[in-house]
Amino acid sequence: MEAVRHDNREIVRFEKAGLAYEDAPETLTDVTMTLKEGEFRFLTGPSGAGKTSLLKLIYLAHKPTRGRFFLFGENAAEAPREALPALRRRIGVVFQEFRLLDHLTAYENVALPMKVAGVNQNQYREDVSELLNWVGLGDRMHANPPTLSGGEKQRVALARALVSKPDLILADEPTGNVDPAMGERIMKLFVELNKLGAAVIVATHDLHLVQSIGKPVLRIANGKVTRSAGAGGAA
Amino acid sequence: MTQANDYETDEAENIQAPPRRGLFRRRAAPLLPEAGAAGAPLTAVIAVMSFLAVLAMASLLMVNRATSEWTSALRSEITVQVKGASPADIESGVDAVLRVLNETDGVLEAKEKSREETAELLDPWLGEGNAAAFLTIPAIIEVKAAPALRDNLDLLRNRLTTAAPGATLDDHARWHDRLSGAARSGQAMAFGVFILVMGAACAISIFASRAGLAANHEIVSVLHLVGATDGFIAAEVQRRFFILGLRGALIGLVAALAALVLAGLAVRAGGAADNFLPSLRLGGWMILWLAAAPAATCLVTALTARLTVLKTLSKQY
Repeated sequence: MEAVRHDNREIVRFEKAGLAYEDAPETLTDVTMTLKEGEFRFLTGPSGAGKTSLLKLIYLAHKPTRGRFFLFGENAAEAPREALPALRRRIGVVFQEFRLLDHLTAYENVALPMKVAGVNQNQYREDVSELLNWVGLGDRMHANPPTLSGGEKQRVALARALVSKPDLILADEPTGNVDPAMGERIMKLFVELNKLGAAVIVATHDLHLVQSIGKPVLRIANGKVTRSAGAGGAA
Repeated sequence: MTQANDYETDEAENIQAPPRRGLFRRRAAPLLPEAGAAGAPLTAVIAVMSFLAVLAMASLLMVNRATSEWTSALRSEITVQVKGASPADIESGVDAVLRVLNETDGVLEAKEKSREETAELLDPWLGEGNAAAFLTIPAIIEVKAAPALRDNLDLLRNRLTTAAPGATLDDHARWHDRLSGAARSGQAMAFGVFILVMGAACAISIFASRAGLAANHEIVSVLHLVGATDGFIAAEVQRRFFILGLRGALIGLVAALAALVLAGLAVRAGGAADNFLPSLRLGGWMILWLAAAPAATCLVTALTARLTVLKTLSKQY
């Protein structure tokens, strides 16, 4: 992120959006929320409440079945397919289940967003190496995910999400598989990236983490998003 | 990643060399996993398709060459037959015909076939030496004609009939038309087989690429989520199928060339009429035409895979 953007630019905007998987009842109901540039939100709620589904809507894995959804000012719910890759490249996602490609090395997994964007390897080689070193995997660069521990995989997933310097960072339980020290480092990195202008949403169960960082919280329960007064105030 | 610098630890001081492409360096893995054992059946099928495509192309080339040789021989010559009640009539007729021919523009050469040779043509039906003993053998004059004369033979035909009432002119048009018709049928059949083979390659490619997408659904999903376009993913699949297709095509080409060489040797060893059966001499251009068949199979396979992937992905979000 090269410069801090204007605070009032909306990154995410939902208006009475709903999501239903096929004929099942709605997983998300009447979601109305906004996330502006430079904002940081925790997303909390019980298991099965819809945290991951909300993130999936934002990172364009699913389309809302009703309502309106704007991403980076674009009407993402009605955007043509051809417009989606450019939007997705502006988002860095740390998936809860990592979603690393087992046949690629840690280095190649981290470099994936740059490669699909057509960036020359010379331009990202050092960034990828640096990130992997930062997450403590400098010596496992050539290892394939099946040979990595859960924590190592999570750190590779984190590096992959950040390598393209995204405008929006989404993290689904990003500290779930790492030790407390590494968890704290990861959260501090998110905060720093947020200070540099990236909007951040972190879904987590870890209320201690939420309190220690002191950022606003979105609560989700039974598919409905509510605002709760986090340490940093309501959204 | 300047934003990460604040958190660098001692680990960062020892940055490892990342993988690089090139000789003696680690080669980056393709984004879609290698087909491995699953690729072998596809390679085998493409090899068979390429083999058949080369044979179809070879048939087409052989028919073309044979037709060209036969029809050019037929087109460059006309035959004048001189009949008569007695050998003396025939002799005088031949003299008159040769006079007319020698005075005609466009006649490059006129040569009477000897009676013995003519009689020998009847040996298979009448028995050796019997034709000359029992029949008045007509004279046959072989004429090499310029194309301009061949295109307008009516005047020459009239002049020959006037000079020698027993003279008839045969321009071989009937044989030429029959040969051309047979050749066209052969060409159409060979071309049809070639198209069928290409169609089969298309069908196999569609099936295999759909199966590949289904098997790699998670990978494709991740690629999409990190910003890959459909075209990027399709290019990856196309590259994979091109490599498999190239491998299969080369195997098919080598096998087909070996089969053609063996068939040629067998025909030669069997003493089949050299002048009758079409030959396939594997010269430079001929090899290129034959290589075009597996190349087409390979390209059709790769392009079909690309289009199939694009179509399949277009139905997803």
